[in-house]
Amino acid sequence: MDDYKFLFKVVLVGNAGVGKTCLVRRFTQGLFPPGQGATIGVDFMIKTVDVGNEKVKLQIWDTAGQERFRSITQSYYRSAHALILVYDISCQPTFDCLPDWLREIEEYASSKVLRVLVGNKIDRDDREIPIQVGEEFAERHNMYFLETSAKESDNVERLFMQIAEDLMKQARMTNVPRYDPNSYNVDSSSQESSCCSRLT
Amino acid sequence: MDELPSEVDLLIIGTGFIESIISAAASRIGKSVLHLDPNDYYGNQWGSFNLQALLDYNPDPSEPCDFRNKSFSLKNFHYEWLMEDQKEDLLKNSRKFNIDLTPKLHYCRGDFVQLLITSNIARYSEFRSVTRILTWLNGQLELVPCSRSDVFASQKVSVVEKRVLMKLLTSLDDILDSENTHNFKKFLESRKLSDNLVTYVMAMAGATEHTSLGEGVKSVKRFLDSLGRFGKTPYLFSMYGSGEIAQAFCRLSAVFGGIYALNQQNLISLDSEDNRITSLTTTKQQIRAQNYVTSLEQCSEKFLRPVKINNYISRAILITNKSILPSEQEQLSFLIYPEGTERIINVFELGSLTGTCPKNYYLVHLTSKQVTTPQEDFKGALGNLFSGSDQPQIIFSCYFSIPETSDLDFENVPENLFLCPGPDNDLDYNSSIQKAREIFEKMYPDLEFLPRAPDPEEIIIGD
Ligand SMILES: Nc1nc2c(ncn2[C@@H]2O[C@H](COP(=O)(O)OP(=O)(O)OP(=O)(O)O)[C@@H](O)[C@H]2O)c(=O)[nH]1
Ligand SMILES: [Mg+2]
Repeated sequence: MDDYKFLFKVVLVGNAGVGKTCLVRRFTQGLFPPGQGATIGVDFMIKTVDVGNEKVKLQIWDTAGQERFRSITQSYYRSAHALILVYDISCQPTFDCLPDWLREIEEYASSKVLRVLVGNKIDRDDREIPIQVGEEFAERHNMYFLETSAKESDNVERLFMQIAEDLMKQARMTNVPRYDPNSYNVDSSSQESSCCSRLT
Repeated sequence: MDELPSEVDLLIIGTGFIESIISAAASRIGKSVLHLDPNDYYGNQWGSFNLQALLDYNPDPSEPCDFRNKSFSLKNFHYEWLMEDQKEDLLKNSRKFNIDLTPKLHYCRGDFVQLLITSNIARYSEFRSVTRILTWLNGQLELVPCSRSDVFASQKVSVVEKRVLMKLLTSLDDILDSENTHNFKKFLESRKLSDNLVTYVMAMAGATEHTSLGEGVKSVKRFLDSLGRFGKTPYLFSMYGSGEIAQAFCRLSAVFGGIYALNQQNLISLDSEDNRITSLTTTKQQIRAQNYVTSLEQCSEKFLRPVKINNYISRAILITNKSILPSEQEQLSFLIYPEGTERIINVFELGSLTGTCPKNYYLVHLTSKQVTTPQEDFKGALGNLFSGSDQPQIIFSCYFSIPETSDLDFENVPENLFLCPGPDNDLDYNSSIQKAREIFEKMYPDLEFLPRAPDPEEIIIGD
């Protein structure tokens, strides 16, 4: 039996190459992959963290490269609890694309999703986006803001822990995990008696 | 933006259901896949749209090109607001709609659900069970009993009939061998079942007066076999619409390295030589592949001869203000509506719990073999279901015809080009999966079709 009480889906978006996969792997595996590109066959990564006395399971979804030609499936955004929008502080075009990403998020993600803006690669000395510019953008769009380095492990832990804490707060306030007897995940976990499900 | 790769194992054009399954299956066994779509949305004629996008849908873009084959586009596309005063509210909620061009159900114990589970694609999707099955008898809606206990609880079935029916249902396998009559309905009637019962069993089979005994028995068996797994009926519906399913396969393909690019307006031609496709030419580059898969809709006429479409599927999409059979809890209804003696209209009534429409509204899908035009084909049913003062009102309606292409054959198709038909008129995806599997097996004989994907849970990192 799993010993966690809460499970949250966190999804990352942002232009190709901004370091989404590196952020996920740094947080979940504690490493900075030397090679480039997404890891074949890895859909999402899971890490269980402690918030207060509770075990919280974070299910962290990466884009599987579909962002390269702006072809992310809508369902990627579905039922996400938190959404991390990443740009590269050393690459202006990745920042310029943020409004496009926001439009897509508005279109497909739940309006209640927790949104975080992340400027990554602060270890680099060729910064193009000053920190204030990122901050202002985040403020204007009602997002949290953080700068990180997946390479140096700066703020990565903090980013995800902050998200876990906030989601827990939200969950406590709204009593989220509702049980809906008519919906199924068709995986093995579903009970025959219920009506909506995941198939297993 | 990056360039597309110039050489891959498999190039796929179109993100319809069949293409998407092939894509996932090929990526899954390590083939390099480039999956393109001239449209800026997933799914072709299997896609789902929010309300605004449905209004903007243009089945017949004015410029035909090598990758828009007009013969296969939707026909008779037409929509109408019947209650203008609701338009603003609905458009404000446009995003809450996920309107399928081709809605489908899944048999709880069918091959498709099995495939979702064995391939581990189930993790991308959520389902809701159909909560009740209705049919139309003597001018009114009737609940079809779906289980032994339903049958026994039904007031409308006499004790004697119950016995006859149970006997019948438990001996379906033997019937085929022993009976001479070849008509399903005649067979049921010969068993001295009342009109009510005959209608129920006909509904379970989705049968018309012309359905053969073999077909009818097979369908009833499928129905019964899928009972008791999820929910009260044999059917599941995909949350957020059937269009999610094609996308789930695309996601799997991408996770296994498939490269995706929608909105590809710059495709010029598929070039062939000696009955083989040699490359795809775009305005920027040439892309070579060993095999090519395209949807018919996005395949040049030069490879598709002869084109003769004999059948169409009539579709109607309605937004209504209440359920056809109101009840305390929101229901997901499947109404099997016999129209005349030859035709069944499949009606899905979806509420907000399915994630396909906002609260306080219902999204109603009607599907049937086309006889004249969609408007005409559904006129009788709509008159019966939506005209009385206590019946739901239609706020918005949209009609169109889908070319039925699942059984078309073409001559002299290049040997490394594989064509994917559009949607069929079946209730479920079974035949379409079969088609995808066949194409996969032609390209990659002896390789496994969608083996189980590793579970992300298998790489849990704790602290
Ligand atoms: N200097 C520096 N480089 C980084 C950092 N994070 C990622 N990178 C590099 O940026 C490149 C892209 O990183 P990924 O994590 O693959 O980027 P992505 O956003 O997942 O992009 P996709 O390739 O589209 O999946 C790689 O070469 C990384 O080594 C960082 O914090 N600092
Ligand atoms: Mg990546």
